[in-house]
Amino acid sequence: MKYALYLGCAIPIKYPGFEAATRMVCKRLGIDLIDLPFGCCPPPTSMKLVHYDSWLALAARNLCLAEENGLDLLTLCSGCVNTLKEANQILKKNDSKRRKINKILEEHNHNFKGTIQVTHILDVLYQDSIVEKLLREKLIDIPIRVGCHYGCHYFRPPQVMYPEELSPAESYVPVKMDHLLSLIGMEPTEYSRKFLCCGSPLGANMDQDAGYAITRQKLIHIHERNIQAISVVCPSCFEQFDMGQIALSRKTKDLPKIPTFYLTQLIGLSLGMSAKEVGLDVHRVKSKKLLESINVGGQNNSKD
Amino acid sequence: MTTIKIWNFFPREALYECYQCARCTGSCPAMEVAPAYGPRETILKCLNLGHEAVVQDEKIWLCCTCNVCEDRCPQKIPISDLLVALRNSAARRGNIPGKLGMAIELLAKTGRSMIVHQLDEMRAHHGLGPLPPIPVDEIKQILKKTKLNDVIDF
Ligand code: SF4
Ligand code: SF4
Repeated sequence: MKYALYLGCAIPIKYPGFEAATRMVCKRLGIDLIDLPFGCCPPPTSMKLVHYDSWLALAARNLCLAEENGLDLLTLCSGCVNTLKEANQILKKNDSKRRKINKILEEHNHNFKGTIQVTHILDVLYQDSIVEKLLREKLIDIPIRVGCHYGCHYFRPPQVMYPEELSPAESYVPVKMDHLLSLIGMEPTEYSRKFLCCGSPLGANMDQDAGYAITRQKLIHIHERNIQAISVVCPSCFEQFDMGQIALSRKTKDLPKIPTFYLTQLIGLSLGMSAKEVGLDVHRVKSKKLLESINVGGQNNSKD
Repeated sequence: MTTIKIWNFFPREALYECYQCARCTGSCPAMEVAPAYGPRETILKCLNLGHEAVVQDEKIWLCCTCNVCEDRCPQKIPISDLLVALRNSAARRGNIPGKLGMAIELLAKTGRSMIVHQLDEMRAHHGLGPLPPIPVDEIKQILKKTKLNDVIDF
């Protein structure tokens, strides 16, 4: 199993720990990752809003690189997967847009053909063959209550993101992260507002405090269910919960802080990697006490 | 600089299907923290005040693009497409939040939308090598051809 690894910007630059954890987990599970000179996706929350044609052209360039190497494209971020899946679909279906974009890219020797699929690390890990491999490993249970946050752009609009997996009412409710985490002994816990926004785009584009006010609404419901950890599949959502709790705690102290994890960090811990190896040491909200209390993430787990 | 009308991107007739039921606004996270904002309200303003008035309003940038409104709309109005078109049109008139404008400029100049000090050291801390360079000139040339200059100088 082989993919072109699309890292995006936020993960390799702000949260390289997620990249390290992902590379190690994929290696263990036999998923080959190929690095290519990709640029910014660009985000559905910035470039698409400001200049649609530029958004589509840069996305097309990234898709072309994967096509030229005959590889499906694996993303690690809800924003990246949203842009690249939608652009792939538009360029495959819309002849006039494809011609227009190819005219722009031709000088750089790219030509969008529509030969590859775009996917996300969560969907890749959820495949039967990978789950079987995971279950053959010696997994360490992580018995804590976890609240999953998928990130809006990971699954909306469902007609674009999961056209093959829609319910008869044409909706899509994501479950894959909850299922995967239950395999490693976690207790996925439902909470109100689970599928609503984390507040990141509003904070990034306009008003940081307003963005965090949205995050706080989610956190209140997460606390209501005594959730001990938050799991995400997007670096922007991660920052919103991790940095957000620090910023919010400067104003009010009513909510105790809950550590946030990127999905592959949790899978990595279960596979015996240490907290440091999967990059938990740089998170703002610390998980050390929680993990020590269940004896997970120590140095020696991977050696035995 | 060329200005554009959103109706080039979005069929005006689609808005007439709106019930004004506010199911969209009722689930909008931006509305909760900025009560003057809402997708229903934006649609109504488009119809009543016209496109020019709406694209001058900086409140259209409060939307998080979370797509919940469109997901819940009983009339299946493509609200997200409308909100993208409105903002493309607004940006060409100089209505673009400062932070966002800076992020776009960085992207155009470096090919990435983020920058940090001591990146190599930070990556090394996680056992990773330096990030390989990306062809910035190619990306800039593409953006010149798509006329990003209409919105941002770079
Ligand atoms: S949910 Fe749809 S029909 Fe109802 S107000 Fe919003 S856009 Fe109009
Ligand atoms: S997409 Fe924008 S307008 Fe619609 S619910 Fe989300 S924040 Fe509100």
